[in-house]
Amino acid sequence: MKTTKLLFSVFFIISLSSFSFCSPKYTGNSKTVSAIELKNFRALDFPYDKGESGLLTWENTSDIMDAEFTVYVSTLSDNSGWIKVTSFKSGESTAEKINLPFWSFEKDKKIYAVPLEFNNILSSEIKEPLSYYAKVEVLKSGKKYETSVLSSRIEGNWFRADRLNNLLFFLVVSAVFFIAVSHAKKKGLFIRRIAGLDAIDEAIGRATEMGKPIFYVPGIGAMSQISTIASTFVLGEVSKKVAQYDSYIKVPHYDPIVMTVSKEIVKQAYTEAERPDSYKEDINVFISSDQFSYAANVDGMISREKPAACFYIGYFMAESLLLAEVGASTGAIQIAGTDVDHQLPFFFTACDYTLIGEELYAAGAYLSREPMLVSALKVQDFGKLIFMVSVTIFSILLLIGDKLNWDGLSQILTDLLKVY
Amino acid sequence: MSEGMIIFGAWVAAALTLFLFSFLYKDNPFFKVAEHLFIGAGMGWYFQTVYYKIMVPKILEPLNSGTGFEIAMVIIPSILGLSLITQFIPKISWISRYGFTFLMGYSAGMAIPVGLATDFMNQVLGTIEPFANFFSLSGFEMFNALIIAIGTVCVLFYFFFSVEHKGVGKKVSNIGIYFLMVYFGASFGNTVMARFSLLYGRFDTLVNYSSAKYLYATSWIAAGLTLFFVAEKLVKTLTKAESAE
Repeated sequence: MKTTKLLFSVFFIISLSSFSFCSPKYTGNSKTVSAIELKNFRALDFPYDKGESGLLTWENTSDIMDAEFTVYVSTLSDNSGWIKVTSFKSGESTAEKINLPFWSFEKDKKIYAVPLEFNNILSSEIKEPLSYYAKVEVLKSGKKYETSVLSSRIEGNWFRADRLNNLLFFLVVSAVFFIAVSHAKKKGLFIRRIAGLDAIDEAIGRATEMGKPIFYVPGIGAMSQISTIASTFVLGEVSKKVAQYDSYIKVPHYDPIVMTVSKEIVKQAYTEAERPDSYKEDINVFISSDQFSYAANVDGMISREKPAACFYIGYFMAESLLLAEVGASTGAIQIAGTDVDHQLPFFFTACDYTLIGEELYAAGAYLSREPMLVSALKVQDFGKLIFMVSVTIFSILLLIGDKLNWDGLSQILTDLLKVY
Repeated sequence: MSEGMIIFGAWVAAALTLFLFSFLYKDNPFFKVAEHLFIGAGMGWYFQTVYYKIMVPKILEPLNSGTGFEIAMVIIPSILGLSLITQFIPKISWISRYGFTFLMGYSAGMAIPVGLATDFMNQVLGTIEPFANFFSLSGFEMFNALIIAIGTVCVLFYFFFSVEHKGVGKKVSNIGIYFLMVYFGASFGNTVMARFSLLYGRFDTLVNYSSAKYLYATSWIAAGLTLFFVAEKLVKTLTKAESAE
């Protein structure tokens, strides 16, 4: 009997101690946990996201003024598997700190809002809609309280209202584009003189007189790059002039897709110049898709064939100086154009004319005067005008807001321009 | 790797480097050898990279082990990609338009919202943001914020093509050019320093390969090249003299 009692006591003690090990541990002075009701305590799906986050909100009331909050979440429905998300003091993590613009989320300082980023919490990518459970532990005057458990479901949103500013701007730009196209077709639009492009005629004329070829290097960009697209427009106009003067052009390529597009463009240009018979398939040649092999071979071709004019127009990286330097050493007249800002200095040093960034985009429109291209250029100018006006007006408004302590004004202005 | 192979590798590396450097003197057969080898090796490397990094994991493996939906998601883009090759067959080259149309549409769809966001909205916000708390900034920060705003507007005006740059416009545009030149100068210096560091790396390798461990690879090849150029010059001079006589 004694042995049975002893065994029972040992079992009882072990059970108690193991229970205490398994139950949640709370740090701090207090060990008692009572229930608490937070006003308007809600578990939500985070608005306008891919479906990776939830949101817990509750109102700041006088009884929780000096409290400290700890948020727990779980994806299990049996009140287990709680994971601590964050811990903060009263006044922190309010709705105004949520990274959403004023038109899609009410940024009220009196409301606590805790985003629950499940990608980070669960350390795995959330691909499917997910149900979660959440509770908040409140530490107040050394005593701990716990809210009831709320549940919600997170899923992706089809419409990103937070990006409404981007959409509106896109619609305005599109509208301006169509207005500009119609205006350009009816009356034509003014474009100021661009020196580098005026020199194209001079370069082709020189090549014709000297009986030497013209090299047109479209760079190492893919067809999806804006500078490559702009380069193909310039290539079309240069080829047309080459065909008219009955000169010879050579276009070495890095990208096979760009070569295919360029072939069509050059063929079309020769046809438009009424010289389809002068078009040769070997005008466009593929060299290599490796940057420096391409540069080495184009350098070799330039130094051997000694062209009268070299055009480097498109997307260039480290090969810019390698190409332009060799071209300069052969005495060719050189015209370059790229939107890669850190390569432009090399073209400045080695070329006669350089088209800087936007001038390259303008080149196609400037040379062809095609209404569609001119309109596109006008839309770019419109964008620049909006930019300049926005910077000027918004800067003044922000200065006034800062001077007069109008926080709301700066919030509205920055939200309007922020990318979410 | 065996000792012999290491020495052979050093000779090849030193030779190709010097052959390419020889272009600084003039175009020559050694440069042509290196140039064509470079193109061949470059394309070979590019092909295997595309095959093992794109075709195998993105096409062949999903086709072998994917579900019906995954296979469809591989087959459709693959067919669009293959359609581009029809460009080389004039009779059916029209098929390539489907691939190109998709490519252009996809690129435009990706680029336009991102372009608007980064080139416009982020840029404006970045320029004006310091003005939101301008009066709590230090003197230097205030000056910085003003310089950035003025510089941005002036540079942008330089790229404004709809009006002739004359009068006040000319002055604003000129200020823009000064800002651009300062940037380009700094960028030039920065890139030249980076290029020099690459050149030092190459020189360091050549110096290493000129040691006894590599059987004086650099020295022998440099001497050979020099001899070739001297002999070539002599032959040319003699031929010229003979033809003059």
